[in-house]
Order: sequence, then C-alpha cells, then structure tokens
Amino acid sequence: MDDLIICRCEEVSLADIKRTAHMYQCSAREVKLRTRAGMGYCGGRTCRPAVDAVLEEVTGEKPGNDIPLKVSPPVRPVSLSTLGGSERHE
Amino acid sequence: MSNHRIMDHPVLGKLEKTEEITFIFDGKSYTGFKGDTVASALLAHGIRQLRVQEESGNPRGIYCNIGHCFECRVTINHVEGVRSCMTPIEHNMVVESGRLQPVPFKSTEADKLPRTYAEFERGLHKEDDPHV
Ligand code: FES
Repeated sequence: MDDLIICRCEEVSLADIKRTAHMYQCSAREVKLRTRAGMGYCGGRTCRPAVDAVLEEVTGEKPGNDIPLKVSPPVRPVSLSTLGGSERHE
Repeated sequence: MSNHRIMDHPVLGKLEKTEEITFIFDGKSYTGFKGDTVASALLAHGIRQLRVQEESGNPRGIYCNIGHCFECRVTINHVEGVRSCMTPIEHNMVVESGRLQPVPFKSTEADKLPRTYAEFERGLHKEDDPHV
C-alpha cells in the first residue's frame, strides 16, 4: 500500500508523503515543497486531494488551512503559443 | 490488424467499420480507425506504454483517459506534451513516446540542511566547523 504512487508526474509514493509529514510535522504545502508531490506536469490537479487527505490523516491539517495547496492560474498546462505567442518557427 | 479491439461489444453492439488511418509511433507504422485517439489506436495494438517517467524511467500510459492528468503525453508532429487520449489520429501523424531525461545532481544531505534561519544560525556557531 505504501508503494502506491500518489503523484504520478513526480513519482512520489504514499510512503514518501507519510514519512515527510511525520518527520517534519508540517503543512501540506511544506510536504509539497519537500517531496515535489503536486509540482509536476499536470499542475497537481490529479494528486492534490490525495496529498491533502494524507496530511489530514497524519497531522490533522484540514485542507484549505492558512497556506493550502492552492490552485493558481493557468489551471491547466498550456503552451506559450496558446497564451498569445507567435506560431512555432523551426 | 489489431487483435485487442472489441469488434462486437455485448452492450454497444458491433463496431462499424470506418476509414483506416495509418500513423507512425516510435518509427513503426500502425493502423487505426477514423475517430480513434492516438491512445486508443495504440491500445488496440496492445501498446499500453506511452512514455516513461522522465526521472525514473518507469512506464506510464493511459491513466484518466479524459484529458485531465497528462499521464499519456507524447510528442506529436514535433510538438511535445500532447495528450494522446485527446488527440484523434490523422494520416501520417508522427508520434513519439516520452523518454528518460538527464537528472540534475541531488543533494544527499537534504535532511541535514537547516529548515529555518534560526536553525541556520545555530549551525553557524558550531565550534569546530571549518566553514564558519
Ligand atoms: S490519460 Fe489522463 S490526460 Fe490522457
């Protein structure tokens, strides 16, 4: 069960997150910064609720505390050309 | 051509034949039907690994299949990070799987580094530390 991968983009397992949360008794945000869970390609849209849930279990931190795993725009990966850059030149 | 495709589904019925489309995946040519996504066409050929995790090299493939997770990202016609589960196949499309990337050096002492400025300062005043 601990081998379970929570963050697939950065390959962070449940064991990694639990260990970090236990060792540092820290916020979900600190776990994110220490393990990189939720900092990968998908922007944490896949594992954020899972990280929050593990933290709630280990340290009792409720999701959405002072410094939560916030969502900031753009909420999904977009290429710079989507944001208004010119077309690709090769 | 593809032995993993369900041609006669107990609920959805028979698959209507549509136009065949040929595309390239990692240098090999594959055929799918019009309306297939890159991921579904490859799955029909039994190919489930679409990339590897950039650092560990562990296999990755379809995870959500609805465009949410980006696990299925591949390079299509030289554009990186395209979701294969959301991209319909086209004639002569060139698809490449995601590869292993070089890994930056990692600190083996990450756990010993100070977490706060106070900890950092306490560390500085160690008597025998040659770096003070
Ligand atoms: S499998 Fe999740 S985005 Fe394609």
